[in-house]
Amino acid sequence: MSTAGKVRPVGVDLQDSEDTHALVEAIEADNPAAEVVHMPGLIRVTVVGELVIRRDSVTERMGRDWETHEFQLNIVSYFGTIAEWDDDKIIIKWEH
Amino acid sequence: MAGYQLRTLVIEPKRNTFDYLVERFGDRPASRYQEGSYNVQPVANFHYRPTWDADREIYDPNYTALKLTDPYAYKDPRQFYYTPYVADAAQRWEAFAQTLKYVEDRRLLDKMPENWHAFLTGFVLPLRHYESGAQLISSNASRFAWGTTVSQPMAFASFDRIGNAQMLSLIGLAMAGGAADTLTEAKKNWLYSAQLQGLRKFVEELFAEPDWAVSLIALDLADVQLYPVLYTHTDERALVRGATAYSLFASHFNGWFAGHRRWLTALLKAWSEDPQHGESNRKVLGDIVDRWYPQACAAVRLLAEGVAEAAGSTTLIAAADRAAAESAGELSRYGIRVSAGPGAGS
Repeated sequence: MSTAGKVRPVGVDLQDSEDTHALVEAIEADNPAAEVVHMPGLIRVTVVGELVIRRDSVTERMGRDWETHEFQLNIVSYFGTIAEWDDDKIIIKWEH
Repeated sequence: MAGYQLRTLVIEPKRNTFDYLVERFGDRPASRYQEGSYNVQPVANFHYRPTWDADREIYDPNYTALKLTDPYAYKDPRQFYYTPYVADAAQRWEAFAQTLKYVEDRRLLDKMPENWHAFLTGFVLPLRHYESGAQLISSNASRFAWGTTVSQPMAFASFDRIGNAQMLSLIGLAMAGGAADTLTEAKKNWLYSAQLQGLRKFVEELFAEPDWAVSLIALDLADVQLYPVLYTHTDERALVRGATAYSLFASHFNGWFAGHRRWLTALLKAWSEDPQHGESNRKVLGDIVDRWYPQACAAVRLLAEGVAEAAGSTTLIAAADRAAAESAGELSRYGIRVSAGPGAGS
């Protein structure tokens, strides 16, 4: 299977919980092309190209301060590479 | 050779959530906050009219002059419903208990300078009765407010207020080594100390206010001056004056107040920016401020003068004046005019 010349999708699988709903809403707002699939116990968010998670967006929707390291608590699996993970945002994309 | 392939069978739920949430937020699973708050307010089929109010239903938007086109356009920015509220309150209470234990173990209250004892007994501990009054005002607001997103944070605020009163009581008990002496004296001060009568009159007159929103906002006008003066400004002074115990206690009240004001300022904003009622709301808010802001300023200043005299504070009056000015500045940011000066009601 060749993927050359194609922009591949990246995505995350998140545990379905109250906090995750706010997180998914934030991801949808910051990545208009995001596709969200609800599975039993899991929510998969897929974006073609690049997926960005911004602390400010999540904080606003969660109603409390949210720090990017808390993302660890929600994430089950992901595909793509974590290109950036700092205090303000997380970016997942394919780097090669 | 074919390998194993793991497949998930996705069973689509018949519906994601209640119809009214789908209408409002789109067809997607709703948050617990949304499910527990939106459209929960009973709006029809009120069988029993209140015997004490012939013009209104038991739940009625007309218990206040302040209106929202859609009450559910407002939401608590903290999105507190029962579970997160209780978790948050429990955490704060636990933290306070730890502070109290630390202070008691190290006998920090005994080591406080004498004038700080006078400050606590004379001015801070009596405010547990103020907090108790604030509880009545908040729970009254919650009862008569229209729309669950609006009334819900008020109910939580009333719980917090009685919690604050209990925290002050625990400090008082710790000061007297477990006996009620300090609290008895503090209550006497609340009832008879001339410097506290402004505040007592203020809060007690609010009990008689028929419009729940008026009493809630007026209370806030006093809060935004009292909290910075008694817990923020004095916290800093406590650290340089060797009253560590006070600083430790004050941090809890400071932290609570910051969270408390989040839902309240969002509500002020919703009222003053309402698409349909914004203009009339701003007028009503302006009238409330005209009537109560000068009285709040006078009451807090009277207390500050008392502290200056009884506990020898040289900075508290200035802090009170600053807080009054900041309160006026904040109101004007919401488009609420403050025409009456701090001195007008005294």
